[in-house]
Amino acid sequence: MAGLSLQKVKKRFGETEVIAGVDLDVADGEFVVFVGPSGCGKSTLLRMIAGLERTSEGRVLIGGRDVTDEDPAKRGIAMVFQTYALYPHMTVATNMGFPLEMAKRPKEEIDRKVAEAARILHLEAYLHRKPRELSGGQRQRVAIGRAIVRQPGVFLFDEPLSNLDAELRVQMRIEIARLHQELGTTMVYVTHDQVEAMTLASRIVVLRAGRIEQVGAPLDLYEDPDNSFVAGFIGSPRMNFVDATVTAVQDGHAVVAAPEAGLVGMAVATRGTPPKSGTPVSLGIRPEHFVPADGAAGTLCGKISLVERLGGVAYAHAVLADGSMITVESRDAHNFEVGNTQLFGLQRAFLFGADGMRL
Amino acid sequence: MRRTLSQSLSLYGGLLLIVLVIGLPFWWVLTGSIKLPKEIIQRVPTMVPQSFTLQHFEKLLQASDFPVYLLNSMVVALFSTAFTVLLALPAAYAFFRMEFPGRNALYKTILLAYAFPGVVVLIPLYGLFAKVGLIDSPVALVIVNVAFALPFSIWMMRSFLASVPREIEEAAVVDGASTITILVRILMPLIAPGIASVAIFAFISSWTEYLFASVLIVSDARRTIPVGFAGIIGQYQIDWGLLLAGATAAIIPVVILFALVGRWFVSGLTDGAVK
Amino acid sequence: MKNTTLAFAFVSPALIFLLAVLGWPLVQAAILSFQDVGVIGSEGHFIGLGNYATILGGRGFWQALGRSIVWVLSNAVVQTILALATALILNQKFPGVRIARTWIILTRIVPTVVVVIIWRWLLSSSGGMINPLLIQAGAIDRPVGFFATRESAMATLIMINSWRWFPFTTLMMLAGLTRIPGDLYEAARVDGAGTFQRFKRITWPLLHPTLMVLGVVGTLLSFNVFDVIWLLTAGGPAGATQTLPVLIYETAFKGYRLSQAATISVLTTILLMGFAFFATRAMAAAEADR
Repeated sequence: MAGLSLQKVKKRFGETEVIAGVDLDVADGEFVVFVGPSGCGKSTLLRMIAGLERTSEGRVLIGGRDVTDEDPAKRGIAMVFQTYALYPHMTVATNMGFPLEMAKRPKEEIDRKVAEAARILHLEAYLHRKPRELSGGQRQRVAIGRAIVRQPGVFLFDEPLSNLDAELRVQMRIEIARLHQELGTTMVYVTHDQVEAMTLASRIVVLRAGRIEQVGAPLDLYEDPDNSFVAGFIGSPRMNFVDATVTAVQDGHAVVAAPEAGLVGMAVATRGTPPKSGTPVSLGIRPEHFVPADGAAGTLCGKISLVERLGGVAYAHAVLADGSMITVESRDAHNFEVGNTQLFGLQRAFLFGADGMRL
Repeated sequence: MRRTLSQSLSLYGGLLLIVLVIGLPFWWVLTGSIKLPKEIIQRVPTMVPQSFTLQHFEKLLQASDFPVYLLNSMVVALFSTAFTVLLALPAAYAFFRMEFPGRNALYKTILLAYAFPGVVVLIPLYGLFAKVGLIDSPVALVIVNVAFALPFSIWMMRSFLASVPREIEEAAVVDGASTITILVRILMPLIAPGIASVAIFAFISSWTEYLFASVLIVSDARRTIPVGFAGIIGQYQIDWGLLLAGATAAIIPVVILFALVGRWFVSGLTDGAVK
Repeated sequence: MKNTTLAFAFVSPALIFLLAVLGWPLVQAAILSFQDVGVIGSEGHFIGLGNYATILGGRGFWQALGRSIVWVLSNAVVQTILALATALILNQKFPGVRIARTWIILTRIVPTVVVVIIWRWLLSSSGGMINPLLIQAGAIDRPVGFFATRESAMATLIMINSWRWFPFTTLMMLAGLTRIPGDLYEAARVDGAGTFQRFKRITWPLLHPTLMVLGVVGTLLSFNVFDVIWLLTAGGPAGATQTLPVLIYETAFKGYRLSQAATISVLTTILLMGFAFFATRAMAAAEADR
């Protein structure tokens, strides 16, 4: 059990700065997810915590101890790799026991801990098999088992579910969540899938181009994004962004309009002082925040070009007058017909400045 | 993929041609070694032997020094192989999985070892070996064989090492394994075919080496097969039967070796060929 | 991953070994080339570039170089054709293909002397196999002396050497071929490309890098071939097959002019290293263009 601290961590590969300065404090027992688009540096950051990459600048502390210059094995961490990285020529039992073997633990201790991990992960029947005889999900569990036996202070997961099919991914996600409940160890998890992030994390760290965009509990990021990048990244389907202008300021709200898109005037709450009239802004509306047009706070007018019906929910993709596209969600599939031009009601929206920052 | 008749014909026709080109000479040698002398030299040669005799082999084993040559070749080849693998494996690991200054430059220098004829180093080496009293010693041959086999062996190991995902090594590092442990317990079992390939290559190179063996070994008792043979050719110029028997006997050990482990060598070459 | 000392420890044995056994003698040979040593072990005095003047000024070196070039080029052509054809065949699926791939290299794994014996016997003008067969087939009236004339000796040697080496080249090419995804060929068939078209537009361009590497390596290897030539013709008849390696050997051990042999060695090495250097540069440039 240990907390984790990253202080002013930077990483350069040659001339390129991959991590541009990260400060983060993770409390003991937290489940933190690093999420972001490809190339944002989340894996690099994880590997620096593990010690597989050296920091160019900055310090890494685990359990209060400065481990910046320590070897991975001495940091009190365990890592689950994207490709599981199981030793193909060893049995499941030997794979899981390997770290303890390296630590020169007595045999009966190794056997005991391996049996315990196998119990937790339902691997008892497979202890004497080789990895190639196991399915993807089983291999993943062996990889997790190998991490568990080390009883680390911090668990590190590097996109562990990317190689699994969709159904298995859901299953394993639940298993990992259950594991965290049972073991209570600090977990740092890297993924590009924001659904995994939302469901597993106690806190999410959104990264872009080597910088932290926002850190917070999943629902905080959903309800209260700091900028348009986080707003667009969290939540599926993606948030819609419509160009609009502030027409007036009323009671601490900004009234925005986008006449071409059919938005006459809508009052949007802002965090700070609302911007002056005439300021160009970006209006962010989540697909699930559309409502029937009657009585809505604002409306957008668009022509439906495509409807995706999933049974319980339907998504309409509509083109606005200025050519931009929006995605609208509805629980009632019959609301949408391809080719119809109709009004979509807005229930709530976020306001972002031209620089992407939340207003 | 269904083949047309003409495609099949060309494929199998070409295959037959290759089999004949490669195999016929060996077939003739093999059958010749068991033919009676008069059948060997008759005007119209026979594809299938009409006679059978083991006299050539008897002569080979008894009247010539062939068994001695065989033993010498074996000893030299085995030691050359062992040392080549011992030196090539860690070096290949260092070149392809570790970082150190000058890595690329050093690797290219090693490959340059093939950029000159063997005979260039023969003269100075002869002088050196003479000074330390290594002339006429199998040790000298082993040293030379290892030196010539090393660069290619290191190069061959490369693709085998590359086929082991880095993440497995990283997992081992996280698990606390030292570099030596990683090499011995993780990598070696996984690149066993690579090691086999290198071993086979080293063995064959040593087995077939002629130039240095002919110069560095002087006494008859220490000769290896290639040199011993060249001597027999001189002595028994026209005893084809004996020569063919000798040729057959020299081929057999390598054929046996290859029958056992040949497929690893082939996969070693084919996997390691492209940069 | 970061342990520099350990890395050096791993590399050093091989490196030191090579430096001692190959590097040092090269230097020694260079030193020798500036002296006037005759028989092995005899005294030598520094004579500067005297040897170089003699060698470069005489005809022996240049003629041997010419023969070496002929040797290398002919071998390259013959082996490439044979190897490519064989590799293309071995790249197909048919019963026994695995066995074929394993045993194709048979000619390379037997000692050269065996190769020599085999072909000496087969091509012998009194007895043997080839001559009687050709006579039987009516192709010739009298046995051909394959090693008798200057041209036939060189041609025969090239054939025999190719016979010995082409399977090795074949395997290398096969490796390159197997790397070409089968999907490409299937897509091409759907697009209507015939067999030859597929070869020209898919196989050839994608095999190019392999062929380039083989070209350089193969050239170096075949340039340095010694035993086949020496054991079959000893450089004859009348020096017709005296390539540079043979010349070096003869100068040292038959002519007892050690320093001159060293000089030729040094010149040859410079030539080969220069070739390797420029060839790899050209290859890299060609790759960058594609």
